[in-house]
Amino acid sequence: MLWLALLLPELPLQVYTRSGIDAPLAVVAGHPRPCVIAASTEARALGVEPGQGVAAALAVAPALQLRARTPALEAETLTEVACWAATYSPRISLVPPDAVLLEIESSLKLFGGACAIADAIHEGLARLGLQASLATAPTPLAARWFARTRPGMNDALLPGWQADLDSLPLTVLADGTGVAPATLELLAGVGVRTLGEIALLPRAALARRQATAVIEALSRARGDIPDPQPWFQPPVQYAHRLALPAPVCETEALAFAARRLFAGLAAWLARRHAAVDQCVLELVHERHPATRVTIVSGAPCRDDSRLVLLAREHLARLELVAPVEELRLLADAPQAFAPQPDDLFGRPGQARDSAMLLLDRLRARLGADAIQLLDTRADHRPEVAWARKTATLPSASPFPSPLPSPSPTRTASAGAKRAHPKRPLWLLPDPRPLAPGVVTLLEGPERIEGGWWDQADIRRDYYLARGPDDALWWIFEDLDPPGAWYVHGYFG
Amino acid sequence: MSAAATALSSAAELRSTLAALPPGSVWQASRLAHGSGPVLSSGFDALDAELPGGGWPADALIELLVDHPGVGELSLLLPVLSRPPFERWFAWVSPPFLPYAPALAAAGVPLSRLLLIRPDATRALWATRQALASGGCSAVLAWLQHIDTAGLRRLQLAAEEAATPLFLFRPRATARQASPAPLRLILAGAGETLQVSILKRRGPPASRALRLPVRRLQAGDTELIACDAIGEAPSSRPAPLQLVS
Repeated sequence: MLWLALLLPELPLQVYTRSGIDAPLAVVAGHPRPCVIAASTEARALGVEPGQGVAAALAVAPALQLRARTPALEAETLTEVACWAATYSPRISLVPPDAVLLEIESSLKLFGGACAIADAIHEGLARLGLQASLATAPTPLAARWFARTRPGMNDALLPGWQADLDSLPLTVLADGTGVAPATLELLAGVGVRTLGEIALLPRAALARRQATAVIEALSRARGDIPDPQPWFQPPVQYAHRLALPAPVCETEALAFAARRLFAGLAAWLARRHAAVDQCVLELVHERHPATRVTIVSGAPCRDDSRLVLLAREHLARLELVAPVEELRLLADAPQAFAPQPDDLFGRPGQARDSAMLLLDRLRARLGADAIQLLDTRADHRPEVAWARKTATLPSASPFPSPLPSPSPTRTASAGAKRAHPKRPLWLLPDPRPLAPGVVTLLEGPERIEGGWWDQADIRRDYYLARGPDDALWWIFEDLDPPGAWYVHGYFG
Repeated sequence: MSAAATALSSAAELRSTLAALPPGSVWQASRLAHGSGPVLSSGFDALDAELPGGGWPADALIELLVDHPGVGELSLLLPVLSRPPFERWFAWVSPPFLPYAPALAAAGVPLSRLLLIRPDATRALWATRQALASGGCSAVLAWLQHIDTAGLRRLQLAAEEAATPLFLFRPRATARQASPAPLRLILAGAGETLQVSILKRRGPPASRALRLPVRRLQAGDTELIACDAIGEAPSSRPAPLQLVS
């Protein structure tokens, strides 16, 4: 097995700087006397140093933005990276607080070597707004130690790689082992500087001084005893957040920062072979309830550039009620999604699929009543001569066979054509009383009468009339009392 | 260089030289743009001649500005609508009245392909974009009440991306507003014909309005079938009708 350790240095700071918004920023922690634990490049340029007290930092840089360290946000960011890293390996292990392990031996051939994977990871992490140091080793613990001390990639497993461990400093033992700080102090006190020097110490003496954890850690790092890792299970819902280094009022900057979140979403979807058609971008304000921006894409998609485009559209017409402190991206209900394979001759059912998909989507969003198909009916009364079909037959196709065949509809309409010579393309569902004014009668009358059989008896004289702007109207005079003139359609 | 200058001294020679060049290498401002994208024949030769590419652009937002229903605005599209699409819809989004099925069928429009979408006003734009973006429609006809320039631009992008024409009906008062639509037509009635003025197109501005012989009266040339219900009132007499009520 070949392990790749992905270490996010200065994670407490990176969770804020990844949004790409430049601001002098310092992350502070410590309870009785908070002090700076990490400072951004802009803050360092102003003279802020890690270890300074808050008052001292503010004295040298009054414009400094201070953010308290948020371990929860760091853990979430690590999870997000683990979700994203699934692109490179199916076997991933989370190593809090700041590392992710990938077992990449099975992926080497696909990506063309560990160096190619490392390049791809650096590039992809840049889209997430993060920086990492990477190292490979045959054991997970050694990979972590190398990533922390001397990042670098090795394609091949050199025999005798364990010798490299000997030169590592003693401090790496604090990472990922059960070695107590007191033991480390003891070892440092007896003059041990590197891991190699520990191996020279008598084992029995080490064991007597409660330093068995040291021996065990070294054995695990060397691969002498197995070191099983818990595999990371990606969450079933995507909900990640991006803290902004300073309150943001411009939506353009928000759209820029949101790209980080969408890049993570795209990788999470790719791992699940899924796509979303809807996701929610929440803009968290300090004193107001969060603004929710629902981003709906036409078809299920997992293309982050497309989602970013949609988000940008939404954000562009948004008026912020307050400065934004944090962005959250929520996506649930991912749908199974198989990218369409390219076919030399095109896919025959593609148009039909997309037509059915459109019907489904419209019905889901607007309700079944809002989607209708039309049909004719053999009746000479205008109101009854058409019918509304609710398009609700998912199994039976609404499409007749593509071959031109004389359908009953056509023959019925041919009959209608003979019996009813002139019918308007627009019909008013309810005849509108003809407003007082001058219309010129052109043709008529055509008497339409009947309907005693279904209690909708009518007796009307229809005329073709010229309305304003040379429009042709279909008007009628109701012959039943009280009798009045109505518009019933337009020859559109 | 001087030899070339003398060779092109006269305008006639210049014209013949231009004509001898392979088509498309030199664009002249008097010509309509060609080959910009796929087109759909409108079914009217006079209109095709004025439209860039020789027909409706098949991947664009087309604005039809019309004030009064009944001037022939639907008949203008009947040639397009009566070409049955292969397993695709003709989507009608928020039509102002009921498209009357018997008349449409008589005009040869395949009713089974008409998809009537009646969303509430706030979702009409969404539904239009869905219909465009799905790729499942041969053409989309939309009557949107309130739409701003950003919405129009989104529609134009969606139409372009999905290569689906969108016929957007708007009132004539919007002619003054800027629009990203590459083709805008003003429709008005003119006697028995439909007057089409091209407000905007790719290429030189159109100078004159067209009069298209649209078939507003479906089955207009068939004889009235005598039946006992017809014929009481005096037959066709163009006379002003004064309404008193």
